[in-house]
Amino acid sequence: MLSAVRVLDCSDESGWLAGRILADLGADVVVVEPPGGDRAGRRGPFLGGVADPERSLPWLAFQAGKRGITLDGAAPLAQPARTRLLDWADVLLETFAPARRAAWGLEPGAVASAHPRLVHCSLTPFGRTGPYAGFRAGDLVAVAMGGNASLTGDPDRPPLRCTLPSAWLHAGPEAALAVLMALHARARTGRGQHVDVSIQECQLQTLLGAPGLAARTGRRLRRSGPRVGGTREIWAARDGWVRFRLRGGPAHARGLRALLDWMDEQGAAPEWLRATDWDAFRPDGLEEAARVRIEAGFAAFFASRTREELFRGALERHVPLAPCNDGPALAAQPQLRARGLFTTFALAEPGAALELPGGFAQSSTHRIGPRRRAPRVGEHLEEVLAAAGVSRAELEKLAAEGAV
Amino acid sequence: MSAAATAEGGVYAGLRILELGSDAAGALVSRYFAEQGATVVRVESSRWTDFGGPLPESPVPEGVDAALLFALWNAGKRSVALDLQHEEGLALALRLVDWADVVVESFAPGVLERLGLAPGRLLEGRPELIVLSSSPFGQTGPQRGTPGFGGQGAALAGFDHLTGWPDREPLGPHAPVTDSLSPRYAAALLAAALLARAETGRGQHLDVSQVEVGVHALSELVARWTGAGEALGRSGNRCERAAPHGVYPCDGEDAWIALEARDEAEWDALVAAMGDPPWAAEARFAGLADRLAHADELDRRVAEWTRDFAPYDLMAGLQEAGVPAGVVQTPEALLRDPQLAHRGHFVRVEHPALGTLYAERSGFRLAEHPGGFASAGPLPGEHTDEVLRELLGLAPEAIAALRERGVVA
Repeated sequence: MLSAVRVLDCSDESGWLAGRILADLGADVVVVEPPGGDRAGRRGPFLGGVADPERSLPWLAFQAGKRGITLDGAAPLAQPARTRLLDWADVLLETFAPARRAAWGLEPGAVASAHPRLVHCSLTPFGRTGPYAGFRAGDLVAVAMGGNASLTGDPDRPPLRCTLPSAWLHAGPEAALAVLMALHARARTGRGQHVDVSIQECQLQTLLGAPGLAARTGRRLRRSGPRVGGTREIWAARDGWVRFRLRGGPAHARGLRALLDWMDEQGAAPEWLRATDWDAFRPDGLEEAARVRIEAGFAAFFASRTREELFRGALERHVPLAPCNDGPALAAQPQLRARGLFTTFALAEPGAALELPGGFAQSSTHRIGPRRRAPRVGEHLEEVLAAAGVSRAELEKLAAEGAV
Repeated sequence: MSAAATAEGGVYAGLRILELGSDAAGALVSRYFAEQGATVVRVESSRWTDFGGPLPESPVPEGVDAALLFALWNAGKRSVALDLQHEEGLALALRLVDWADVVVESFAPGVLERLGLAPGRLLEGRPELIVLSSSPFGQTGPQRGTPGFGGQGAALAGFDHLTGWPDREPLGPHAPVTDSLSPRYAAALLAAALLARAETGRGQHLDVSQVEVGVHALSELVARWTGAGEALGRSGNRCERAAPHGVYPCDGEDAWIALEARDEAEWDALVAAMGDPPWAAEARFAGLADRLAHADELDRRVAEWTRDFAPYDLMAGLQEAGVPAGVVQTPEALLRDPQLAHRGHFVRVEHPALGTLYAERSGFRLAEHPGGFASAGPLPGEHTDEVLRELLGLAPEAIAALRERGVVA
């Protein structure tokens, strides 16, 4: 869909997903690494356990679909090449700290006058201006400051984040959206503009309105561990965990009765549990002893079955239950396989290949997904610089000085 | 709090979006476009116009005002109530489709077909139409007909598994993750389709699976397994690449600070901020590998130090010293956050029934198109008369008659 859009991707890991989404949508995304490659980004674990920057699994996953060059964009010697690249590009994506932004000559006024058609997207922890604009933050600090951590975890332990950098994973798609909005505006005005994305601010949407709720009702939400709304929602299966929503009322009663029919077929439904009026059932109205007893009734059934058995039964009978998939279970999901989500990318190294999620959605008219594997270090340097109008001679000079 | 900023002159001023379906995952897609001036009309089922519906599966405990969440999720939109099971109601819906540039729908797959509104059929009549369908599993595949429930996407995509303590069960991040993640992806997809249409004049049917979006974001989880046979698990707040890296107690009830030392410079800055305690000079904390190997002891020592400080003072001091640090903020604290105030995140809007509310902006700002919300989310059916009159040209008497017969509400 975006085949005419050229993106210069100067993000660190906090912005990788933005460029990946644009690449999935067909944009020509060129990732810019420092000369010698992005050491921090090309981290382990490695394909096949072989430590090699070209086999970095996080790199291969998020840089799929992109081309790659190396450039020290802050070096004075590289300034003409940088200017040509910014003329060539429609979009600049960067996660620079203020000093690096200045070294690249990217103050808003300067960019607008030198590159009036450029959409310049800055992705930073808190935004480019404001009292916290200079604050340092990785993903953990962003999750904390964005409100989600305070509500994630057990009441008797500290607040939590997700083991993978979820704040960055939420901000990336929003940055991609913002870039596309700016391009939409450009079609009308002929001009690019600056786009200022705050990773913290993107986090608030994960709360689905909780601050407004607090303002209006004065009600404080608290960390509740595996419980939601007073009842357990995470349950042990024989080989892992499942999420099962134990709620009453007419909307949920059918699913509970379907579960009990199933349990009954297996001889695992205590009579007193079967006799419960699920239409009238209200978990937060229960006494502790009653709640414990009901939960124990379901828990015994779940604990004796595997995640797969439970999920299969849930799908057949429309019970609100889903396995807490880990990587292996996820990669084996029949629905994802049937939809063709996973794509195998052959690496440049003969015999090496990696299976990854491909496109994030489907379209009736366009193929969505990466058209190529992640780039090797500097793989497309010559062709991209030539396309931007940087002469061979200049490229050789930059190489001699270590600026590419 | 900022007063309602205008979305006039927004990027999508003049764009017409018709929205069907009532869950958060669908509603949050078009909210981005309403923020930038699009005219978004929601169709509610007229059978649900009393309080209590058509309201989404709420991620917060029962008894909380679900109507309030509906209002927050649908800021800037208008609402029409039609009986889609009634032949005349359906006919009105089809006329609204004709009005629209884009249809965003989050019904269960198959519902639109049963109503006579199959995307394929709609596109045949109008090849320039863009229809975006968002559902838990997608429009195809053996599980297309499986009902969704909040939290299901987080479980299936791997977020639950990756969140929690190694010695306890998975917990998942707060609130159904895919409800907030998939709209961002879907909105980007829609924005791309609009650009493509501007070039070619052609629309398309877009099929978003909320679970697939989650899996895509967690590509690293998949890659670690398929590429190295590593089954990544949850690690509390720890990180393989930084130490200390965690959440530490502060002075006060449920008061915490997050801090990270991502390289030796940040570790040195933290040590200096702590006043160069002798323990920090021990060999077992000298480099990253050492600190990771002794993470339990390291965390204990850092916590001993942090617990005497008020969280915001500590954050300011550590940031000043060059250490990434941030208070674990509650939803209430966010309302007072000065950085969010600077960005104008919370927008005061008036709701006809609920009074003053705080609608929320997206996480980005376009320099030339500030955007905003002039109104809170609508009451179900609040704009039935206005929409039928202004957009479809119906006379007041005709609308009254339709209402009398229960076709509209």
